[in-house]
Amino acid sequence: MEQFLQATINGLLQGGLYALVGVGFSLVWGVIHVVNIAHGAFVILGAYVAWKLDGAFGIDPLLGLVVAAVLLFVIGYAVQRGVINLVINAPIWMTLLLTFGLELLLVNGLILIFTGDYRSIATSYASGGLSFGDVRIPYGRLLAFGLAVLLTGLLAMFMSRSKTGQAINATGMDRVTARLMGINARHIYALTFAISAALAGAAGTMVGIVGTFNPVDAGVFTLRSFVIAVLGGLGNMWGALAGGIVLGLVEAWSGQYLSGTLIHAIGFGVLILVLIVRPTGLLGRPYSEARAET
Amino acid sequence: MAESAARSTRIPQPSSPAGWILVGLGAAGFAYLLYAPVLLLESFLRTLGGVFMFATLALAWNIIGGFAGYASFGNVVFFGLGGYTVATLMAKAGWTFWPALVVAGAVGVLFAVLMGLPILRLRGHYFAIATLSVAEGMREIVVNMPSLTGGGAGITIPAVGLEATTSYPGNTGFYYFFLILLLVALAVTWRVSRSRFGYSLRAIHQDEDSAAALGINTTRAKVAAFALSGLLTALTGAIYAFQQVTIYPNRLFSIEFTVLMVVMAVIGGTGTIFGPVVGAVGLQFLSEYLRQNYLELHTVLFGAIIILAVIFLPNGIVESARELRSTKRIRFLDNVKANRL
Amino acid sequence: MTTLLETDGLTRRFGGLDAVSDVSVTVEQNSVVGFIGPNGAGKTTFINVVTGFLKPSAGRVVFDGNDVTGNRPWDVARAGVSRTFQIAKPFRDLTVRENVALGSMFGPGNSRSVAASLTDADEVLERVGLSERAEARPGELPIADTKRLELAKALAMKPRLLLLDEVMAGLRPAEIDNSIDLIRSLQKDGLTIVVIEHVMKAILAVSDKVIVLHEGKRLAEGPPKEIASDDRVIEAYLGERYAKRVKEGGDA
Repeated sequence: MEQFLQATINGLLQGGLYALVGVGFSLVWGVIHVVNIAHGAFVILGAYVAWKLDGAFGIDPLLGLVVAAVLLFVIGYAVQRGVINLVINAPIWMTLLLTFGLELLLVNGLILIFTGDYRSIATSYASGGLSFGDVRIPYGRLLAFGLAVLLTGLLAMFMSRSKTGQAINATGMDRVTARLMGINARHIYALTFAISAALAGAAGTMVGIVGTFNPVDAGVFTLRSFVIAVLGGLGNMWGALAGGIVLGLVEAWSGQYLSGTLIHAIGFGVLILVLIVRPTGLLGRPYSEARAET
Repeated sequence: MAESAARSTRIPQPSSPAGWILVGLGAAGFAYLLYAPVLLLESFLRTLGGVFMFATLALAWNIIGGFAGYASFGNVVFFGLGGYTVATLMAKAGWTFWPALVVAGAVGVLFAVLMGLPILRLRGHYFAIATLSVAEGMREIVVNMPSLTGGGAGITIPAVGLEATTSYPGNTGFYYFFLILLLVALAVTWRVSRSRFGYSLRAIHQDEDSAAALGINTTRAKVAAFALSGLLTALTGAIYAFQQVTIYPNRLFSIEFTVLMVVMAVIGGTGTIFGPVVGAVGLQFLSEYLRQNYLELHTVLFGAIIILAVIFLPNGIVESARELRSTKRIRFLDNVKANRL
Repeated sequence: MTTLLETDGLTRRFGGLDAVSDVSVTVEQNSVVGFIGPNGAGKTTFINVVTGFLKPSAGRVVFDGNDVTGNRPWDVARAGVSRTFQIAKPFRDLTVRENVALGSMFGPGNSRSVAASLTDADEVLERVGLSERAEARPGELPIADTKRLELAKALAMKPRLLLLDEVMAGLRPAEIDNSIDLIRSLQKDGLTIVVIEHVMKAILAVSDKVIVLHEGKRLAEGPPKEIASDDRVIEAYLGERYAKRVKEGGDA
């Protein structure tokens, strides 16, 4: 029973981190209709930024997180505005290939610079934790979870309350109409992609604080983002949080009974099932084009 | 504007002059290729075999992705299944290669049908993501069934000595295997492009509702295209596995294979007969050149090439060459003009 | 006269809304039946349910004595029902000729070869007056020709029942007259035709029987002259127009 409780807590906390990884991916897919295969590479890039700042200049990772987010924001804006916007209306495999090319570039660039060795960002606080009997809650993971919920909440508020957020929503629903209403779609797309990249950067820093990372992990984070986005419903912020937590729990629970990497297979199984049975995701913002998108 | 938008996804006519010129060149080239093993170094034969393999994979992807317009990002699942079928049957059950190859093809078809029936109902990105997930999930399953597949440590086909059920064909043997399979794939594509089946796939690509309204059983056509793609891909994987002797799930189910299939088809020209072959030849030699001259940078450069190709050459080499002949220039920026925001 | 198409209590719900509600109609062999009604009356949904693009929530569709309720679109098409789409859906990367040939290739009963279908296509193109544009791409056609292409694709199937969804919308008066002539000549050849239009004038001119849909229900049915003077029909239309005028006035 305690083992199960521990697994549940681990899964819940890990799920929060997953949510932070996946929420930006979901936003881009929902609004720009681009599946960003380079999303995982952005996450890892964020981790390296914070790791380097900590290692070279002794900058606290939490400050490093802010720097990573800002840097990724700038990169994200430039990539969307300067590259992806150029072929945004091409057939879907074009944008898929484009972001895959970007992923190759980033991941292998990172390997050239930092090698493929596993790194982690050491902090004084991440290793401590709360204990309740045999059940343990590490501070680092608690922090990651709290930050994920906070950022997701802020993003959800930004999307529903702010004028820019509403412009993003409007553009996502109907770009043509949005442009007629005077919304600068090029800027809005770039901004959306930038926000997504910034969140990935923040998530990457937390990944580095609570565990280890290397460039090759990028692909795994992208794949998890698929699961989270589809589970939560595209472009649905709270949905992404729920999707992340579901994935975290499913992985943690199945880890109790299943060996090694079969856990990943479970994640994919869930994804395929959701796609087939309920393509609008668990929280179901009705993106009905799941079966009509061309 | 509308015209250039149409061009970006236009499917060239199978009976175009460019096609026939290539047929002529192909016949001459074919005669050479048959004698190549006598003339060429073994190492170069191996490279050529690899080019044929990728050309076949790209042609197989082209059937579901290029003709039917369903961008499969998980075609490597057939490759891996084909390879593992052969390896398992030869290593664990003592089969010889040829019957194992037949079973591998059947597994490819069967899996395509079973997977296609639910997944081909999804469109666009959803289909891409679902196929990708199936491939990744299958890799994990193979990793976690060590008694059958050898797990992550790989499985070795007995290829030498008393244990070998079929003697190892060597570089020359595999060169011919891959060459024959490529010719089969070309013949299949040629046949499809002219048939009612090919027309039904093009119709589905361009407007699925309209296709159904004209009496095309879209479900059956899509599943058939997927099965054909799966068959060719599984056979390729089967031969590849035997060539490698020892295979690993991370290699046989690598997403990179899928991406290469798509990139080669796109760079050469989707929906055409020779496009995927041209793309495979070009990209394989380029990749080999980069590997030899810029060992460390080569994957980074490869990423950059993909990005540039998507932006400037999305109609593929074949279509662009045709355009060059008729208008005396290639309009690299047309794609951007048509598809930018 | 024998009945070719019959619906019995046909209903289609979207969420809580009945887009088509308990519609029972009959279409007689070799007749032209007009469906009219204001926007959102359920005309296109009705066609979609009859042709298998949407599953009915309740009710039956009988074509030529066979129950085809809930059949897949291609089965309905191959049984002899062909349709056009309100928003034309040509295959944009094929030529006009190839577009039409596809109808012949997979249409009811015929398993025609590619070559034979292309020959068939030429005949149909001749008939609708599109021969000169045979090698053009659909994207290059003006709107009237796009509508003709849509019709040609449906005709190439050699259907027994033709469902035309707003093939005259957006056409100039002279072009509408052409379409009316074409529909009449198709009827003379033995075809049964259902014409859906938003505009009343064309429908009244061409139909043997007119069915009025309003808010998903069958509001009235009868010969064109009766329908034109039916109070409920006038009210349904005037009501809409009146509301429209008020709205436009408010915006200005």
